Amino acid sequence: MTPDSNTQGSRRQFIKAVTAGSVAGVTGLAGCVGDPGEAGNGEDLDDFDTVTLGILEPFTGEFAELGEERHKGNEVGIEWVNESDEYDFEFEYETFDTQTSAAAASREAEEAIQDYGADFLTGSINSSAALAVADVADSNGVVYTPGAADISITGSNCSEYVFRFETNTAQMTEVMAQWVNDELGDQIFYHYADYVYGESVRDEFEARMESLSDSYENVGETTSDEGSTDFDAFITQIQNNADDADALVVGMTGADLAIFLQQAGERDLQDDIPIVTTTGSFTPVRGGAGLQAVGTYTGVRYSHELETGDNQEFVDAYEDMHDELPDNFSRVGFESIRMVATGIQEAGSRDPDVVKDTLNDLEHETIFGTNRFRECDGQAENPVWMGELVEPEDGGDVTEVTFDLMELDGQEAIPDCEDTGCDR
Amino acid sequence: MEAQEREPVAAGDTILRTDGLVRKFGEFTATDHVDLEIERGEFRSIIGPNGAGKTTLFNLISGALPVTDGTIYFDGEDITGLSPQQRVRRGIGRSFQISNVFGGLSVRENVRLAAQSVHRDEYNIVESLFKTTDKYERMNERTDRILERVGLDDIAEEEADVLAYGDRRRLEIGVVLATDPDLVLFDEPTAGMSVEETQGTIDLIEDVLVDQTLMLIEHDIELVMELSDNITVLNRGEILAEGTPEEVANNQAVQDAYLGGMVE
Amino acid sequence: MVAGVIQQLLDGLTLGVVYVLLAAGLSVIFGVMHVINFAHGELFALGAYFALALIAPFGGTAFFAALIVAPLIVGVIGVAIERYTVQPLYGRNPLYHILLTFGLVLVINDLIYLIWGPGASSLARPDVISGTVSVLGLGVGVYNVFIIVAGSLMAFGVWASLEYTRYGLIIRAGSQDRQMVRNLGINIDRYYSLVFGMGAALAAFAGIILAGTRQVNPEMGMSVIIPAFVIVVLGGLGSFKGAVAGGLLVGILQESILRPYFPFLEGMVIFLLMIGILLIRPQGLFGTEAPEDESGDLLTGSRGGFLDPQTRNRLGLAMILLLALVPLGAGTLYSTFIVTLMIEILIWGLFALSLDFIMGYTGLVSLGHALFYGLGAYVVAITIQDVTQSVIVAVALAIVISAAIAWFVGFLSIRVAGVYFAMITLAFAELFYNAIYRLDTIELFGEEREVTGGSEGIFGLDPFYGIAGIGVDLDSIGIFVGTTVLTGQLLFYYVALAALVVGFLLTRRMLQSPFGSVLKSIRENEQRATFLGYDTVVYKRRAFVISGALAGLSGGLYTLFTGRVFPDNAEWMVSGEVIVMVILGGMGTLYGPIIGSFTFFSLEHVLTGYTDRWRLVLGSIFVLFVIFLPRGLVSVPELLAPYLPGGPGPGPQTEPAPEDSSTGGGD
Repeated sequence: MTPDSNTQGSRRQFIKAVTAGSVAGVTGLAGCVGDPGEAGNGEDLDDFDTVTLGILEPFTGEFAELGEERHKGNEVGIEWVNESDEYDFEFEYETFDTQTSAAAASREAEEAIQDYGADFLTGSINSSAALAVADVADSNGVVYTPGAADISITGSNCSEYVFRFETNTAQMTEVMAQWVNDELGDQIFYHYADYVYGESVRDEFEARMESLSDSYENVGETTSDEGSTDFDAFITQIQNNADDADALVVGMTGADLAIFLQQAGERDLQDDIPIVTTTGSFTPVRGGAGLQAVGTYTGVRYSHELETGDNQEFVDAYEDMHDELPDNFSRVGFESIRMVATGIQEAGSRDPDVVKDTLNDLEHETIFGTNRFRECDGQAENPVWMGELVEPEDGGDVTEVTFDLMELDGQEAIPDCEDTGCDR
Repeated sequence: MEAQEREPVAAGDTILRTDGLVRKFGEFTATDHVDLEIERGEFRSIIGPNGAGKTTLFNLISGALPVTDGTIYFDGEDITGLSPQQRVRRGIGRSFQISNVFGGLSVRENVRLAAQSVHRDEYNIVESLFKTTDKYERMNERTDRILERVGLDDIAEEEADVLAYGDRRRLEIGVVLATDPDLVLFDEPTAGMSVEETQGTIDLIEDVLVDQTLMLIEHDIELVMELSDNITVLNRGEILAEGTPEEVANNQAVQDAYLGGMVE
Repeated sequence: MVAGVIQQLLDGLTLGVVYVLLAAGLSVIFGVMHVINFAHGELFALGAYFALALIAPFGGTAFFAALIVAPLIVGVIGVAIERYTVQPLYGRNPLYHILLTFGLVLVINDLIYLIWGPGASSLARPDVISGTVSVLGLGVGVYNVFIIVAGSLMAFGVWASLEYTRYGLIIRAGSQDRQMVRNLGINIDRYYSLVFGMGAALAAFAGIILAGTRQVNPEMGMSVIIPAFVIVVLGGLGSFKGAVAGGLLVGILQESILRPYFPFLEGMVIFLLMIGILLIRPQGLFGTEAPEDESGDLLTGSRGGFLDPQTRNRLGLAMILLLALVPLGAGTLYSTFIVTLMIEILIWGLFALSLDFIMGYTGLVSLGHALFYGLGAYVVAITIQDVTQSVIVAVALAIVISAAIAWFVGFLSIRVAGVYFAMITLAFAELFYNAIYRLDTIELFGEEREVTGGSEGIFGLDPFYGIAGIGVDLDSIGIFVGTTVLTGQLLFYYVALAALVVGFLLTRRMLQSPFGSVLKSIRENEQRATFLGYDTVVYKRRAFVISGALAGLSGGLYTLFTGRVFPDNAEWMVSGEVIVMVILGGMGTLYGPIIGSFTFFSLEHVLTGYTDRWRLVLGSIFVLFVIFLPRGLVSVPELLAPYLPGGPGPGPQTEPAPEDSSTGGGD
């Protein structure tokens, strides 16, 4: 560590270049280096009471509902850390609206780092925004805990500054593929949204099926644009192909998936072919699809009913604060913040460069029990479940979700380090 | 302004000829087989009631409208298929009512734009993009000459919008002159003007455009009789009569038509 | 198989009928009052939300009541919109309606978020119209049948009232030839509110029936507005019959043909179709003659007479100097983020300047300038990623390719005028936007190579400021000025500033050249310019090429600035925002767009700091601007001049005031 390594951003790289002796065209007073990008919190890295956290969520636009849900988890996490004796510091935070576009997300991330002086970033729901923020975090040298499930975030696009508590698509499809192959068969029809997330569901599921079954076949595919609201034509096509396929794997999430399930239910698609989804368990998806979604199978990343780790304590804290039950995004927000806090506490420093090294392979007690961010890719080793959307017992108009069809623990579900494509 | 006299018409030197010119708008025939022959240096007036097809005829000659049938020759060349701007470059100028100058530009810019059109072959595309207009000598000389000729050199930097009525009229004629036309089409240049203003306009045209062949659409019969070398009378798209003012005045068909009120 | 085909046809008809209702209102509104109503999609969404609110307390059985009441409410809102915002703009160029309704989109959309929250909800509906019935062994969704029947009845009702009532007769006549109707002594203007309200109600009706199967969400308006415009243009602006044919055509094409059989072409074909139709038959399939030219005046910025040329030049120079000082205070006087924001302002200033060069000086309104911005951004990104890290090569390529594409688009588009030009440029931009998604990777020499990176975009670029190994990497050099070190983004600031100043001086020079004189004459009076012997199409095309090249440069700078590029950089909102900036600052002046960019980003930055509902405020500001200050911010000094002591007296402000940019000041 050079004494200057606390400075941020391009300046950090500049300083590195200085020490490497490869600087061209430096003029002026070399002794008087200012601190651009760091307004006032650069000193005392090892002796501190506060840590600045930038929260980047889509508070407006199509992902706003999910962003708000995650932010509720963030708030619980921050309060947890600030009120606990286990941590010698408190988080100060500011929220930034990533809107819906990656361009806006990267601008807001720059603002959080440069204007607010955040050393740690967390947030984002959609993959393209998360990738953009990860890129900003990487080039500015701040630690970032994203929310999206896209594999490349801890795969080909991984960064030493990025740690993800969200369960990624590779982990999710591991349990889905094993269960589908065991219970339904190996002739698969795919429908997915034509963007990063949808494509990765198809690719990952396919890769796992190929290794599980020699007779696996991709019977057909349909794709819709991200943000589609109209799936009639696709449902018709799927129905036309239902006889040849054992299962329909759907690579969509959010409103896309909710509307798809509603329209599919309207046409009784479940009766023609089992529908297997990655995120059907999400509250907004179930809320949007209503009872039309009964009978849909889904991978489960989280349930408030889990008895793992200190989940029930989290659920209680969450209910106290927000008068509702947590769901997947809120637990990601909560635990991302708590794990980063543990890293800072362990490192005894709020310097992101020190914290990132400490976080690698550090054992945490989490809502899923003992867990860690792997050193090779920064991905948390989360367990995964397989479940089904069923009629609610109380007769409401939103399905309930089970998670008892199959379970894989964290190490079973996560891909081997060599297979991640990450080199960090 | 130097006083010049219009040269006598050189017989047998045809500048414009139309051959069976037809223009239809749907079912309606606005111009019906019009054959015209204009001599170089001639002052020709086109008269006729509203809807007789006068303006349509001008639009066909200037290229503002495509013909339905027939041919237009200018200086012996078939120009029927040419665009308006190509016709301007061959020497057909068209003058508009005075509200048609570029109001937001200065007097000088108005004239220079016309001069520039004439001189544009003298520079290449790169020059035309990057060399400021004040660097083109021949173009600016021509502009100055014309500003002087029409008596606007004193107020060349004024914006056209703020000009007095008479000055605007001078500007309009200066702009036409700057395009270096051999034939100028005037469509009711005096519409809405008082008697004096009309006379002033006509004097200016006579004075400045001495070398040009002129075609005029005009409703003031007295004025037409006084000015024209020849007159063409249109009615319902067809030529009713043609000849010198005397011949037209004595033409029975014309007399009938005019006495009959020339059906609107 | 036959059953499948029938089902596909049914899907197509379902969507087609909804499109018909949506497009009919849009088309008639355009035909009668020449308003390009971007807010139509939001009225569509409002319908669904009002229905949601009406149904919630009573359950599904209230669906039918909501189907009548909600459109009526939206109709009243439509009338109010027409009265208070559209009416002050009649007689002005349709461009102002674009800006106005763009502002209304922001306002209405944000109100929806404010009142109903962000999530999606489903619209409860009675059991009568749920489930499936078996028809000839085919399971048919009852609700699909309901949409087709109810939608057709509604469309038929509108058609009948247009055909057989006196009001209908006047409206139909008005949409063909307003002047003729006025000549008949009928005050067509009085019918405007009625038409607008009716169009809004139809959109609302469409929104409700579609929401019954697609859910209600705040983005539903955005997702239908572009297809709706395509349909209106295909069918013929102002033609009801055209809206019906276009709606069914697009619905069936999309649902029954493209999606099942040619999914790769979805999103491309309708825009290609629209371009083709506009080129071959600009008036659309069922439009009557090409429309009357009632385009109205473009209100350009100040006359430029407020300051004398010398003062202007000095002021410009002072501004550049002041801007050059900005990075020096970073980290001490203010945070580095101010510099980041300023870079974005400079880049968008150049982009807005490029648009103004075509819009403010030739009157061509390009609704597709995002194409060139996005193209420049992607060319630079792809070059640095796949070919060479040299910024000089990448930027040069971006400029050349943008100019070439601009020439091609201009060659096809400039022959059509006004709204049609706007629509055709929009279509090209949408084609490009779709292509970004499709050209994710290509096979080249047997190797998969990343091209656009699809929806992920391209990031992690490492540009090198030089060529053939000679040059610098901005991140590894530093310039010390006093206590501040300039490196990385702080240095890039000067690259952006230099690009803007060069772009400004270049365009200013061009406007002082013979070429620029002709552009100004085209703006003043195109017909007259023709009769001075100018081929105005050629001049407009050249201006478009220059504009495209500059826009490409600004897009390329954006990539260099962020080191990443996303499809968002080319979406139609980008085209909308840059138009807003130009008008905000003042069209037809070279510095106006730059002021517009500054104002836009500053407002956004300040507002997002205070409220999540900043779009509401921003939208309201646009609406007020377009009504009360159409000449933009640059006209403010002129308006204030009479009230300032010692200032020049009030100039003639009633006429459109063009600026003589030969005296245009600095930035």
